[in-house]
Amino acid sequence: MRNLLKTALVCLVALPLSAQSTIPNSPGVAPAIAIRNATIVPVTSATIANGTIVFANGVITAVGRDVAIPADAKVIDGTGLSVYPGMMDAGSTVGLVEIDSVPGTVDTAELGEFNPNAAAAVAVNPHSEVVPVTRVNGVTHVATVPGGGIVSGQSAIIELAGWTPEEMLLKAPAAMHIRFPRLRSRPLVGAPEEEAEKERQKNYTKAVDDLRELFRNAKAYAKAASARTADARVRRFDRDLVLEAMVPVVEKRVPVVMHAEFERDIRAALAFADEFELKVILAGAQDVSRVIDEVKRRGIPVILGPILSLPQREDDPYDLLFTNAKVLHDHGIRFAIQTSDAHNARNLPYHAASAAAFGLPKDEALKAVTLYPAQIFGVDDRVGSLEVGKRANLFIADGDPLEIRTSVRQVFIGGEEISMDSRHTLLYEKFLRRPAARPVD
Amino acid sequence: MTMRTLAVLVISAIAVTLGAQERTTLIRNATILTVTNGTIENGSVLIRGSKIAAVGKDLTTPAGANVIDATGMFVLPGIIDSHSHTAVEGGVNEVSLPNTGMVRIADAMTAHDISAYRQLSGGTTMALILHGSANAIGGESQIAKWKWGRPVSEWLVPDAPRTIKFALGENPKSANFRPPPGQPRQYPSTRMGVEEVVRKSFVDARDYLAAWDEYEAKRKRGEAVIPPRRDLLMETMAGILRGEVDVHAHGYRADELLMLLNLADEMGFTIRELQHVLEGYKIAPEIAKHGAGAGTFIDWWGYKAEAYDAIPYNVALMVRGNVLTSVNSDSDELARHLNHDAAKAMKYGGLTEDEALRLITINPAKQLRLDHRLGSIEAGKDADLAIWNGHPLSTYSRVEKTFIEGEIYFDRARDLERREQMRREKEELLKKEADAQKLEKKEKTDA
Amino acid sequence: MILRRLVALLLLSAAPLVMADVPGVWAITGATVHPVSGAPIAGGTVVMRGGLIESVGANVAIPADATVIDATGAHVYPGLIDAHTSLGFKAPKEKDAAEPTPADLAIRGVSIASDDADSRLADGVTTVVTAPSRGIFNGQPVVLNLGDGPVESRVVKSPAAQQISFNPRPSWTFPDSMMGVFAHIRQTFLDAAQHAAAREVYERTPAGLRRPDERADLDALGPAIRREVPVVFVVDSAEMVRRAVALAAELKVRPIIAGAREAYAIAPELKNVPVLVAVNWPKAPTDAADRAEQPLRIIRNRVLAPTTPAELAKAKATFALVSGSGKGAEFLPGIRKAIANGLSAEDALRATTLAPARIFGVERQLGSIERGKIANLVITDRPLFERDAKVTRVFVDGSEVRLPAEPKKSDANEATPIDGSWAVSVAAPQGSVALQITLKAEDGTLSGTYSGDRGSGAIRGGSIDGNAFEFTISVNAQEGAEATDWLFRGTLDGDAMRGTVSTNLGTFDFSGSRAR
Repeated sequence: MRNLLKTALVCLVALPLSAQSTIPNSPGVAPAIAIRNATIVPVTSATIANGTIVFANGVITAVGRDVAIPADAKVIDGTGLSVYPGMMDAGSTVGLVEIDSVPGTVDTAELGEFNPNAAAAVAVNPHSEVVPVTRVNGVTHVATVPGGGIVSGQSAIIELAGWTPEEMLLKAPAAMHIRFPRLRSRPLVGAPEEEAEKERQKNYTKAVDDLRELFRNAKAYAKAASARTADARVRRFDRDLVLEAMVPVVEKRVPVVMHAEFERDIRAALAFADEFELKVILAGAQDVSRVIDEVKRRGIPVILGPILSLPQREDDPYDLLFTNAKVLHDHGIRFAIQTSDAHNARNLPYHAASAAAFGLPKDEALKAVTLYPAQIFGVDDRVGSLEVGKRANLFIADGDPLEIRTSVRQVFIGGEEISMDSRHTLLYEKFLRRPAARPVD
Repeated sequence: MTMRTLAVLVISAIAVTLGAQERTTLIRNATILTVTNGTIENGSVLIRGSKIAAVGKDLTTPAGANVIDATGMFVLPGIIDSHSHTAVEGGVNEVSLPNTGMVRIADAMTAHDISAYRQLSGGTTMALILHGSANAIGGESQIAKWKWGRPVSEWLVPDAPRTIKFALGENPKSANFRPPPGQPRQYPSTRMGVEEVVRKSFVDARDYLAAWDEYEAKRKRGEAVIPPRRDLLMETMAGILRGEVDVHAHGYRADELLMLLNLADEMGFTIRELQHVLEGYKIAPEIAKHGAGAGTFIDWWGYKAEAYDAIPYNVALMVRGNVLTSVNSDSDELARHLNHDAAKAMKYGGLTEDEALRLITINPAKQLRLDHRLGSIEAGKDADLAIWNGHPLSTYSRVEKTFIEGEIYFDRARDLERREQMRREKEELLKKEADAQKLEKKEKTDA
Repeated sequence: MILRRLVALLLLSAAPLVMADVPGVWAITGATVHPVSGAPIAGGTVVMRGGLIESVGANVAIPADATVIDATGAHVYPGLIDAHTSLGFKAPKEKDAAEPTPADLAIRGVSIASDDADSRLADGVTTVVTAPSRGIFNGQPVVLNLGDGPVESRVVKSPAAQQISFNPRPSWTFPDSMMGVFAHIRQTFLDAAQHAAAREVYERTPAGLRRPDERADLDALGPAIRREVPVVFVVDSAEMVRRAVALAAELKVRPIIAGAREAYAIAPELKNVPVLVAVNWPKAPTDAADRAEQPLRIIRNRVLAPTTPAELAKAKATFALVSGSGKGAEFLPGIRKAIANGLSAEDALRATTLAPARIFGVERQLGSIERGKIANLVITDRPLFERDAKVTRVFVDGSEVRLPAEPKKSDANEATPIDGSWAVSVAAPQGSVALQITLKAEDGTLSGTYSGDRGSGAIRGGSIDGNAFEFTISVNAQEGAEATDWLFRGTLDGDAMRGTVSTNLGTFDFSGSRAR
């Protein structure tokens, strides 16, 4: 009995590392709120100076210059301030990792190459310290994405408020993520050793063939499954959860995000997608400017980023990752921005600003972190802009949120006024109040 | 001597003198962020040779000067990164021993790391290039400027102080990496062991010096005596004790930082700068009292257990606590946009614009004891500076030109032009090679 | 009298077992003789006796007891000296075999396989300088003649130098970084100086002093520290060469640089440092796409590396051409490439004879055809560095060495068999589809055209590796439908091919035969 107690105590003591945030996930009420006399930036229409926005029960009910404010609404004076739609990270690991070096807290990548049935939605920790840290900078919802292997699994779109994963979920599965096999992770320096090279080629071909086989099997499974659904007399077969997870993909109901950086790999990924007629989104794609026609022809949207990251070849232009956004914009290709991060997903707007520093129009940079990711993932009926009927995911700031010096004053998710505390603000306040050091003898 | 010969001689002498005259550049009509003397609107900077000759509002343009019209632009001193591992080949860590103070980064520096060029494109001109953090005591580090295109010997700052790297916490105790197969775990494996290693190294250094003193005394007395071994590691440790080598110590947790400060006090020297120091905000008064500086990145957290309490307000709290603080990168990528991180110090903790700019200019210059020559735009200092197309603390700004000692090492316009040239040269060389190879093959089969 | 004859017979039989060349007097006549120490001699004569050169010239008297070799039309050269190799040293089987130390004499451990010696001799190399390539202190290289006979009889100079390479040890063993290697070398030299001083003091007055340990490795560095022997630093890049030269100055030793394929970039700096340039020039990746991905810096370096000898010659530096340690180069092809890149044939010859001899201090014995020098000679059918030159006869220490039989021509690069026209049939479900395809292979890339009633054009993405190939074409799978990609994957089998075609409707078999 004493041993059991000891064990229990040890477990309790060990618990803090699984990061149980002490900050309330959300207040649980979505009253009527009006923000008055602010600069409203709807994103889908022109900025409104001295405007007002009203939301209640989690939904935006009015946006405009002269808008009626309900009598029971809490009124916030927005003089000198701006209201923006909550930003969306098109690719992150928020909720899937707490401390990278502590394996017990890391759930980003399952073992093995083919995990289509791995779903981020079931592994998100709503009480991760990362959640408040991210949302207090105006990032209100994210795509959280599994990694690893070739078929990494299914991403989920989650709001950064909610007491359970179900309360956070906006959409799951959002997409199936494939990291297309690469022959080379970096350019060769000299002539490769023959034996090692043959081995590499063999492994590459095998990986692509295995992926192809997975898709073929999935198609066969889908056919059989739909036949049986249509006619119960069709022979029963044992279920295969791996293939089952692939069925919505081969039936084009769930898009595939192809993660590829180099031209060769992008081309191979696109050819593969053609072969199986997949609904494709391209992600990463540092070489996207070299395949721009192929991307445009197929009408594929692109998720760029992380933009604050280095080009992978020595000879790549220093601003390659900054200018890709402008190239896509000039060719009329829809794109969004991802941080591929958890702890600093909050810096999403600064990735966008870096693209604007190198030619992307500022309003497009803002759209790349608000409207466009929502459109790409098909949640733009609910989020992505300040429009009547959409969810009240928005924030008040004292300036342009893509500028670092801007301060986000208040965040709303689903119309609820979210605590602006985070682990960081609480530690800050604690040590602001540290008493004068005691003299040590 | 004929008149003609004399004339030729005189003309040649004039030509030689003119050629030997320093290059002069005038950057005109920009907003000059001097860092130490406020901001000058519509100001100019005159550069002669490698130095800033004058800074002010109405400077006259000297004859023969190259004039850069910087109307609407901003001039900032070259950013100084106090934590870099760029431009090192053959490994940034000598992993094998708990104390590797005998190795030197200077032996391994290379001029071919494209990251150095990319940092110029972000306005960063100089860095403290450190040994890695695999050991409690690492090797001697090197202060260098990113003189892209020059031989690496010219990158090393000649009168820079000697510096050495210490590391505390998870990395030197190998918490997060496994030994190669077949190798046992290596001491130390706890923070206690890390302290032991540092303490023992200094105790051994004192014994080393004593042994040499004894030897010298005996020798002077004419006794037959065998000289002790000259030990490079012990000599470096002795250098630290004598204040000839500055210690820049990587540490995270407040307790281990305090351990080191106390140990240094006990040994009679001052830690020059604590690096990373992510929990510095918990012990700002103690750091200030000891007299150490702090160099940290601003918003990385949660990647290791010891980084879990890191907060972006760390910088502001330390600055308010009178600690000489700099913001650095420990990353080839971040080193390109340290201006962002300086701006974050305003967002998190309310530093002023002036305080923010200091974090990446004069403060690291002071930590590297080169502030007499670097870190601000003042007459007499090295002409290390960058021209930005907007205020450096705005995320929408980028660098147009970067100078080191009066020479332009990054020029965006030239960079854009060179891309096509490079592409063509590459195509030509590959074709030349392919043709030669075809010829070779043909000759082989003909033979 | 009989006794004397018996003694003579006995002495003769005790002589090293060589081919029947007793009594060892040769006269090579009628050839173009390249003494190196002077201008070439047309129709010259070289006389060898007792392993040494007796005379050389245009009108030299032929001794009565000489066996005459009529070499009319041929060329005679001093045997080439390959002054930096690891010939005779192989990587040890045991994983943690001890590294060489400064005390290790290469002469003790060298064991040259006959195949290796033969291939060098076939290249005209009669002398090598060799040491292991493993470890940091590689030991003391030996200048060694190739050929028959025990090692002891073939040594020209041992030790010839100390040799240092900058190979880090495995991770977690000091030193495992390049800067660690530098620290280790510095400390070792400091320890060697201290050890020498300690021994000197102790030997004078041992009383009251602690006895120094036995340290053969440190003692062995004495001659290098006293500058009696040079130190060979094995380095490749321009930056490493500079680092090595600076380290040598710091340690106050006499450097020789070996490797140095990037020295073209810093040739003027190497006026006073002998350089052994390895002619195993950097190779390009075989795949064109891989080459295009490489940084310009690497490509430039690869193209310029073979100009290194010419640049050193221009800068009037002292240099030799070597095959290099480790795998080493094909010596003659590597030298020819240097000549193709600006080095004169004359300088190339000097760099493989007299220059390496001087660098290693054996110029009084080797490196040119002069009276009194060792009779290492090579006879070729045409000037040595011409593409089709063949070494016909080799003499080492005045004895002829049997050359290996003609090596089999490598069949790696013959005309690719897939080139040509093919009639291909695809077993599509709606009936077989016929296509005419012409293919041409080059460097692993397959190009060509296709035509049939479902479309025509150029093939894309074609590659071939051995007998396996693949390519993509764009056809109408069904009449009137949009064009889609068909990916062919197959194997070649003489005049036939077969494999699969992947399309968006599935995968089908195909077969093909060569169209005549």
